[in-house]
Amino acid sequence: MRLYEFEGSDLFHQHGIATPEYAITTSPEEAREKAQLIGLPVIIKAQILVGGRGLAGGVQTANSLEQVGESVHRIMDRPIKGFPVHRVMVAQKVEVEREFYLGVTVDGYNGTPMAILSARGGVSIEKLARTHPEQVTSRHISITKGFSLSEAQEMAQEVGLEQEELEQVADTLHILYNVFRKYDALVAEINPLVRTSKGRYLAVDAKVEIDDSSLYRHPDLQDTLEDRILNALERKGHQIGVTYVDLHGQIGIIASGAGLGMASMDIINQKFRPANFLETGGAITAELLYKVMDLIMQKKGLKGIFINLYGGINPIHDGARGIVSYIREHKVTIPIVAKVLGNRQEETWEILKQQGVTVVTEVATEKAVEQLAQLLEGEK
Amino acid sequence: MSILLSRETRVLVQGITGRAGRTQTKWMLEYGTNIVAGVTPGKGGEEVEGIPVYNTVTEAVVQRGAEASVFFVPPAAVKAAVLETIEAGIKLIVIVTEHVPTHDAMEIRAYAKGQKVRLLGPTSPGIITPGEAKMGIMPGNMFTAGRIGVISRSGTLAYEISGDLSAAGLGQSTVVGMGADAVAFTNMPDLLELFENDPDTDLAVIVGEVGGIQEEKAAQFIAHHMTKPVIAYIAGRSAPEGKRMGHAGAIIQGSMGTPQSKVTVLQEVGVEVAEYPLQIVELVRQHLIHV
Repeated sequence: MRLYEFEGSDLFHQHGIATPEYAITTSPEEAREKAQLIGLPVIIKAQILVGGRGLAGGVQTANSLEQVGESVHRIMDRPIKGFPVHRVMVAQKVEVEREFYLGVTVDGYNGTPMAILSARGGVSIEKLARTHPEQVTSRHISITKGFSLSEAQEMAQEVGLEQEELEQVADTLHILYNVFRKYDALVAEINPLVRTSKGRYLAVDAKVEIDDSSLYRHPDLQDTLEDRILNALERKGHQIGVTYVDLHGQIGIIASGAGLGMASMDIINQKFRPANFLETGGAITAELLYKVMDLIMQKKGLKGIFINLYGGINPIHDGARGIVSYIREHKVTIPIVAKVLGNRQEETWEILKQQGVTVVTEVATEKAVEQLAQLLEGEK
Repeated sequence: MSILLSRETRVLVQGITGRAGRTQTKWMLEYGTNIVAGVTPGKGGEEVEGIPVYNTVTEAVVQRGAEASVFFVPPAAVKAAVLETIEAGIKLIVIVTEHVPTHDAMEIRAYAKGQKVRLLGPTSPGIITPGEAKMGIMPGNMFTAGRIGVISRSGTLAYEISGDLSAAGLGQSTVVGMGADAVAFTNMPDLLELFENDPDTDLAVIVGEVGGIQEEKAAQFIAHHMTKPVIAYIAGRSAPEGKRMGHAGAIIQGSMGTPQSKVTVLQEVGVEVAEYPLQIVELVRQHLIHV
């Protein structure tokens, strides 16, 4: 779960990482009041859960209260990178002398946290690591031993920092790691940390992503997850406990696993366009599949449905009952092809066939997609 | 004996008294798995499908000689249970549980490092040596015994592709679900190495998907250490960027984890990559004719 910049900044602030003075507002009027308290000039920043907002016009400098109002109005007036802007940050504009990059992330392959530091900030760290690898240092951290201040200082030395700069940057990186651990983060990043002309060290941006599987340990954050899903169908999917990804085609997909769902999507994509990706996970019941049918049918322009389930951990016969009661109650008439295999498959096939679902008993998803193609051809 | 699991392996089921634990124990027994004990703290003395339940793993090891364990333990309890299981001397641990916290998974890996234990998962469908035994949730009817090793990040695709192979008369030595999270306890190259050294495996199939760098690292391993042929399939070629495709590890971030980059690096080291699952069968056949 990605946090908004202001939430990340709040976390940093609470743990001893200084930030420029800022306030969150939802209207040009309020923004002018806040800007007056903070002092001009200020930076106005759209609060959206996606990177690259600066290039898309989501970050603007305002030198007068009039400009504050205008900027806020402009930023909130239209979606940025497809995301509606409901909140903006009004932040003190500081005079920057130097920028640094600080990050802590999960190295999935090695299975350890990784700290990353650069004496150049404000740029893409991936790009910098490619073009100027000598300016970036990283190290794997032992999650059981933790990350010591002296390790952070060594890293600061490796990128050529000295004296006060070394101390300040190392301190901040050390705190950042502790925030990463405390909040079960997948990413905690300050890009950039700046040294101001007054010699202060401030985090002027905050990117924090929390591990969804750990949200039960952070109940205050858990409650906000749903509100962050902006697509209405994807939010509905989350509510009923499945992964739904909204796509742009006409074929609805229901799969009982992520890999199978992706493969189905790829195969369908050769002839048609998938309307969605949907993965049920391992908790199929009649009720869940009834709700899943209801969800995918909400997509406009649906021409067919492709169901691909394996009864490994899932009771597929039970799931089939949910599918057919939906079809019956809502008189669904578009073609539905189901490939459902595993424990109690024969029973499952009978349930589906009785409600007019085309059942494919072969293993290959490709064959089942061909069936669907034939049915759709027949419709024309 | 193919890899990791045979009909002799003495298997423990942790979380055996839960809904999934009970059902899967029944199916694993029907398949022929040598389940010797179950563990659920506080349920010691009960029986599930005739299998004795103990409170601790140590009891199951001492009383019943358990040597491998499959987990149906709730995510929040996995870390402590794995540490207990390693302590008790179990050599193979399969974590079926989904949604294990990533930081817990990192702690488990740090703890297991340097110890003589093999962990699979989290979010693993398990491991099956067809015709002998299975630890996990795979539907047994998709698999047949043979000489092809399969490694899959996804559970359902492991079933599908093994089923495709079986339908074509191409059996499997062992099918390993390595799990679909960002942090896997055992990486793809380590599993390839097991198949490379297994006299009962002629060829390995890797089933990858978008996200992470498992397939890229596998390509490096193949280039330097594999003599047996490897066939690959990468799911999610039509996945949009920045969306988690159901698996915690399945996300394309910028140029990282794209299916194109995986396909390219695999092809560069001579691995043939199927464009869709069924094509694996053709590619495997061609290789076996050459062998």
